[in-house]
Amino acid sequence: MGGLTQTTPSGTVRPTAATVGELPMLTEAQVPFLEIETLRAREFIPASKEALSSMISEQTQDKLVRPVLNWAGRNSLFPLHWGLACCAIEFAAAFGARWDAERFGVVPRSSPRQCDLLIVNGTVTWKVAHKLIALYEQIPEPKWVIAMGNCATGGGPFRTAYSVVPGVDKLVPVDVYIAGCPPRPEALLDGILRLENLIKERRT
Amino acid sequence: MDEKAATERLRSQLSTRFPAGILAVEPFPGTLGRVRFDPALALDLFRELRDVHGFTHLGMVAGIDWVQEREVVYTLWSDERRVYLFLSTLLPADRARIESATAIWPSADWHERETWELVDIQFDHHPDLRHLLLPTGYQFHPLLRSFKLHEPEDLEVKVRNV
Repeated sequence: MGGLTQTTPSGTVRPTAATVGELPMLTEAQVPFLEIETLRAREFIPASKEALSSMISEQTQDKLVRPVLNWAGRNSLFPLHWGLACCAIEFAAAFGARWDAERFGVVPRSSPRQCDLLIVNGTVTWKVAHKLIALYEQIPEPKWVIAMGNCATGGGPFRTAYSVVPGVDKLVPVDVYIAGCPPRPEALLDGILRLENLIKERRT
Repeated sequence: MDEKAATERLRSQLSTRFPAGILAVEPFPGTLGRVRFDPALALDLFRELRDVHGFTHLGMVAGIDWVQEREVVYTLWSDERRVYLFLSTLLPADRARIESATAIWPSADWHERETWELVDIQFDHHPDLRHLLLPTGYQFHPLLRSFKLHEPEDLEVKVRNV
């Protein structure tokens, strides 16, 4: 257990800085029910790019194909219908009649295979961390992540708790952070629109 | 006044039935009382309270860390008498073991799992004593006094390759 705990001179035993790799928790490999095939879409994209580039010139790709794909992608962001805590209520409100996120083409889907956006709304605990990573890996490329609320951004009010991951960007790469506890539905819509602007500038 | 009389009645009944082991029966406002008992008496006392006194429902099992000893608190509810009762034991810190109440009240199952994972109290003959709220394999018992939370400054998290 070297390095896992340290004893202060007064005799209290405390864990050293929480290191996911060092904490003796079960990895995905040891948890038997989590045998998922992760869609390694990264292997597919170069092939299709090659096929595309052989038929269409580089310039047409940059000026025509890529903008069309970007337009299609940003106007049909499908988030995973997944909520962790209180921010999920604001997420649900944003899909109600008053704020209506679906007018932006944002339709929550139940299966990560059908999604391209993961909105992490709520406190991420160590217990759910590997499941979040599993869901993220199941979303095919191209994919984006929005960290909604203070808990997903940096642990929020529970940052120093023994059971809370201090920010979901410790687990998955995040594109947009929305601050708030909870952020209003308008703030969530603003975050989604900022993501759409990011996708507009996508070159790859 | 009624409450105190009822508590007194319970005290005399329990003391007759268990001459040794009932350390105190104190009044507690809003309930029938608070019974402090010796941990060796656990199952017999639970059975007596459920069958004879009508406390058919175990509402909660909780643990408290007083550094030299650990306390287990049970909250019982009686449907026919519509009254709560608290039970409380002190266990030595180096040997924090008590019989599981699942044999008497099945609802003790998850409560005892949570109490074990937070305050490190072993429940003997528990059907499945493992982590409930914390990840499997978590090596600490966070609600012990010797477990200190991180200061925000020295919280550094390194993530393994996923």
